[in-house]
Amino acid sequence: MVDQRLSVPRYWRRMPQYYRLEGVQCIKCGRVYFPPRAVCECGSREFKPYPLPSTGKLINFTVLYSVPAEFEKMKPLIMGMVDLGGVKVIGQIVDCMDPEKLSPGIDVEVVFRMVKMDSTYGLINYGYKFRPINNC
Amino acid sequence: MFNTSEVYVVAHSLVPGSRHYEKGLKELFAEAFLKVLDQVGNANLGAIYVANAFSEVLQDQGVLGAFLSDYVGMRRIPAIRIESGDGSSGVAILEAYNTVRAGIYDCVAVVGVEKMHDVVNIKLNKALATITDYEYEGFFGVTPAAQAAMAMREYMLKYGYDYEDLATWPIKMHERGSKNPLAYMKKQASLKDVLESEVVADPLRLYDVAPAVDGSAAVILCNKPVKSDAAIRIDGIGIGAYGTYTGQRDSLTELLSVRDATNMALRTAHVSIGDIRIAEVHDTYSILGMLSLESMGLVRPGETPRLLSTGALDAGNKLVVNASGGLKSMGFPGGASGMYELALMVMELMNIKPFESLGKAELGVVQDMAGFDLVSTSVVLRRVS
Repeated sequence: MVDQRLSVPRYWRRMPQYYRLEGVQCIKCGRVYFPPRAVCECGSREFKPYPLPSTGKLINFTVLYSVPAEFEKMKPLIMGMVDLGGVKVIGQIVDCMDPEKLSPGIDVEVVFRMVKMDSTYGLINYGYKFRPINNC
Repeated sequence: MFNTSEVYVVAHSLVPGSRHYEKGLKELFAEAFLKVLDQVGNANLGAIYVANAFSEVLQDQGVLGAFLSDYVGMRRIPAIRIESGDGSSGVAILEAYNTVRAGIYDCVAVVGVEKMHDVVNIKLNKALATITDYEYEGFFGVTPAAQAAMAMREYMLKYGYDYEDLATWPIKMHERGSKNPLAYMKKQASLKDVLESEVVADPLRLYDVAPAVDGSAAVILCNKPVKSDAAIRIDGIGIGAYGTYTGQRDSLTELLSVRDATNMALRTAHVSIGDIRIAEVHDTYSILGMLSLESMGLVRPGETPRLLSTGALDAGNKLVVNASGGLKSMGFPGGASGMYELALMVMELMNIKPFESLGKAELGVVQDMAGFDLVSTSVVLRRVS
């Protein structure tokens, strides 16, 4: 609970992404992006929202022991790269007491968790994390 | 066609990286800057380029250039601060080079300065997280070490290496550092030391991480050499960009910005990669040093650990990599890293102590990179007598 004095709008404008993993799909060519962007590789600027699937596969990971200030009490963090229907997302892997059991290719699902807390009376930020589907 | 000037490195200096608790940004800057100024006498500087990555986060200081130039009695000389994360120096060198090349100024100074130890480690990690896509990476706790660790895992899987094979990087860098009085890490490291060091981000260990240091390094660039013997000329310079969210990369083992920057530098210098005899690469993490070498085309993909272990990249060979001991031995002064690499390369090309044994190499390259393959620069330097 390090005092961050996090800005409220800076957090809530990203709720579609942090809460629902909402990416964008290009209307012209169908490419999907997470995080969203303004211009597609094909040059088009027209997108529609595209929520990513809630299950996927772990493709790479690391157990991070040296963390930024606001994560000090949660360390170590397991950071993973996850493939959600062809779109790769990087985030925390949770509910895994034994990281030795993790390996590329295992199934994971999206969960909704607290990401960080801004001191005693400040904001609590929530967002997506990933959990191995079979016990870890 | 424009008339362009040649660009020479006429002076260089560095403050050996350390925990300089008694010195702030201003003192570190002045120490490196005044040394280069004294080397050239009356340089008639048009501008000072300042490479620094984290002064807002670590020192609560913006408009850094103004206060630094005033501190050295030059408040009327524009000091332009360049921020491009830990690759700030390369971009500052490029900008400085361009102004001299274009004839805007006869001489400019480039100074890298960073003060990493004004905060505790967890705060420093927070500053380092700013060189990730903060909204989608840093926000969730992703740090440059986590990205490097994943790249290392991918590299080991792709080429069938064990961690021990990759431990050759820190071992070799410590060996070089032990012979370099300017190094921060002057101690040799054994395989056992590396394997028993703490895990920072599995499989990345403490010995794979360039230790954060406070430091400053400087050069003066001019359109003609000051002395006629052993002048160092910048023959080519290149910049490449591939900034994106880590998930959008096809591979973590190819650094595309490094490849593009190096190709541009070689093209402008009219040389090929095989002509390069010495290289200083940006090894903030051992894996990034290896990937840089391979992405530059100096080493074939997947070959670095093998070549290192056979000694093929040591002094006395066709290509010598990080003769200084790299950032691993010199320390990691954030946005000033590339200026250390440049100052060391000048010393290597000029055969100045402690690099007398390198022989008369004519062409060297300095590679700098911001974050994980976000923005990179390569500088090709030639010794002209």
